[in-house]
Amino acid sequence: MAKLLMQRIEIIALLNDRKKILEHLQLLGVVEFSDVQNEAFVKVNTSSYISQYEKCINTATAAKDILNKYAPIKKSLLASLNGRREIGVGEFLDNVDKRDFFLQNCYDLISYERVINENRAAIVRTQTLMDALKIWLNLDIPMNFKGTKYTQCFIGVVPNQRTVSDILEAIARVNPKLEMIEIDIISSSKEQNCIAVVCHKSVADETNEALRQIGFVVPSESYEQIPAEKMQQYEKDIEKYKNEIEENIKKIKASADLINEVEFLIDYFSIRKEKYQALSKVGLTKNTFIIRGYIPEKYAKKCVDELESKYTVAISITTPEEDEDVPVLLENGDFVSPVEPITEMFALPAKKDIDPSAVMAFFYYLFFGLMLSDAGYGVLMVIGTAIALKKFSIEGPLRKTLKMFFYSGISTVFWGAMFGSWFGDIVPIIYKQFLHAEPPNIALWFEPITDPMKLLLFSFGLGIIHLFVGQAVSFKMTWDEGKKIDAVLDTVPTYLFVLGVAPLAAGILISVPETLSTVGKYLALIGLALIILTSGRKSKNIFARFGGGIYGLYNIASGYLSDILSYSRLLALGLATGSIAGVINLMGTMPTDPAAKAVLLVVVFLIGHPLNMAINLLGAYVHTNRLQFVEFFSKFYEGGGRAFSPLKADTKYIKIKEN
Amino acid sequence: MNNYGLVLAILGAILAALLPGIGSARGVGMVGEAAGGVISEDPSKFSKLLILQLLPGTQGLYGLLTAVLELSQIGILGGDPVELSLARGLMYLIACMPIAVVGYFSAIIQARTAVTGVGIVAKKPDQNGKAITMSAMVETYAILALLVSILAMNSLK
Repeated sequence: MAKLLMQRIEIIALLNDRKKILEHLQLLGVVEFSDVQNEAFVKVNTSSYISQYEKCINTATAAKDILNKYAPIKKSLLASLNGRREIGVGEFLDNVDKRDFFLQNCYDLISYERVINENRAAIVRTQTLMDALKIWLNLDIPMNFKGTKYTQCFIGVVPNQRTVSDILEAIARVNPKLEMIEIDIISSSKEQNCIAVVCHKSVADETNEALRQIGFVVPSESYEQIPAEKMQQYEKDIEKYKNEIEENIKKIKASADLINEVEFLIDYFSIRKEKYQALSKVGLTKNTFIIRGYIPEKYAKKCVDELESKYTVAISITTPEEDEDVPVLLENGDFVSPVEPITEMFALPAKKDIDPSAVMAFFYYLFFGLMLSDAGYGVLMVIGTAIALKKFSIEGPLRKTLKMFFYSGISTVFWGAMFGSWFGDIVPIIYKQFLHAEPPNIALWFEPITDPMKLLLFSFGLGIIHLFVGQAVSFKMTWDEGKKIDAVLDTVPTYLFVLGVAPLAAGILISVPETLSTVGKYLALIGLALIILTSGRKSKNIFARFGGGIYGLYNIASGYLSDILSYSRLLALGLATGSIAGVINLMGTMPTDPAAKAVLLVVVFLIGHPLNMAINLLGAYVHTNRLQFVEFFSKFYEGGGRAFSPLKADTKYIKIKEN
Repeated sequence: MNNYGLVLAILGAILAALLPGIGSARGVGMVGEAAGGVISEDPSKFSKLLILQLLPGTQGLYGLLTAVLELSQIGILGGDPVELSLARGLMYLIACMPIAVVGYFSAIIQARTAVTGVGIVAKKPDQNGKAITMSAMVETYAILALLVSILAMNSLK
């Protein structure tokens, strides 16, 4: 179990079977393709196909976005947990035949949206024009009116707010001789006056010049209609744009049931894309082709049998070389696999690493429960995750994560019961406030708040066990490598030293039995001596050895000290959950009137506890991860492996059911 | 005059709630601002970013926790304040200091780490676990400070 054994696979087959074999491998989903690099083989350049499929995927994705935007299918949050839609092979093949038709539907959807967007922009544009036209509404002649037989007309704006006589005065100042002018103010604001000027044709040029000098400007937009008419036309335009938008939204809404087709297209083209990406790694000769890659050993036989029975192939399975970059795939049982995503979050195991999930799982659940440590919250977690897992077909990492919360929930119930914390101190509060009785002691062990020292030492104790297990794994790995002396010398002195110092350090906080501290003293001294003598064993020089020994002692002492102290978070986060839950309950019991108290308590309970649970779930999750990543993994685990990524039908929405 | 002890003790509780509270508010706000930019581009990252945003919020809770513990210990919450000498009151005030000071600063520094985490999530959403872990490293020191405050308070009982 744990890390699956990987083997090299080499498949040589006839070129004619190329597509079928690739499709078969994709269906099996157990072979990762390596790039065949050899001058003897020709490679196919599939990048044009791949980019074409990507374009199709993008089209379908855009269509899906449009459908989600205008015709969303209402799904409950829980229902969205449901995995992929299952379709039979027959339906799948039917759909493949209709793919061009589906794609056309996508293009239609996209064009509907384009029309909507264009019309929306047109509305904004028209509204801007309407705003500009508003100041001219009082004008009862067309904007581009130039004059009659004997008169000339100028329509435009002058800066600043002025009256007719102000403007006439300004003109007179510029050109005192100018006469026969009539000015109408259409509208005026602080910044500008809209005016219409009528003058006799004979003085048109002078008038124009004089107006220019006082800052008269002709507006850039000019129409043949009267402004009020133009306004009406704009309003009609907007009405038309709006109708068109409505119409297209209706069209999109009418196509709401296309969503399944669109999702099929996304998956279908993704499968094709994957296949062609794999194809580009395949080497070709005139009549044959060659696939090289990796396959987990447990699937190898089935894969070879299936291919050999159907096609003319030569397959060889070999063990990879020492220095090869072999991909990693984890597989564990039901209890361990839920923490695989946690391991993957840190890093996949490198070649010489073991899969740490197995040793981590128990401690993971244990610490999670100890940090959340409220039985009420734990029960909610267990029920919630159990229902989600039972009712919905959840797949992949999400399923594992839910299971992780399920097991952690059980652990939380356990520790909550040990510490007597059920939604904080709700049980004693009900006894005290409503039954007026002395509350019974519901803690199976003890209440941490009454004796935090005890829990602190317990946390340190768990920490030492956790760290020792990590060290033991390192011992086993070094031992298996054949460095038996190193394995013993790296581990045993540290164990002795830490075990010896522990009771002495605990003596600072509580009273430790005499015998225990005496034994501790000698253990610590032996460990200390061994560490100083052996840590520097790598160097030849006697002084360097001694220096190395002292340095090793410093490393072990300071490393273990900070590591063990770090487990105090088990106590701190546990206390935080219980205390904040207590504060919530306390707020509910503020009123003196029993009825008011009961009502308020229910309200505060229903609002406060979900909040407290959420924030402490986050805290417990994050800090359990930290204890594993920083304290535990540093003892034996490096990580840096490459994830196994086989050619498979990597679909998001549909699952092809084999008949 | 003989109630100065109580005044100091309450001052301690108030500081414990006040400083980490301000720190957390600033921190959560900082991460929220950064996350807002990412969400405007890609709303689907909301849940991942929300977790990052919440991380610097715990210091405020630790401060609240310390304050409530203390207030209930000196009887303010029970409505029956105990007599406190000046020295004991000062001890309560000092006991609150670790979480008050460390809580304030660690919240803001944790928020800065979380803001870089927002960058990680923006570019590589599948790596959000690493962003969370790095930010959580800072919180260790707030937890240690909380622990010292609680233990000190407990020994004053």
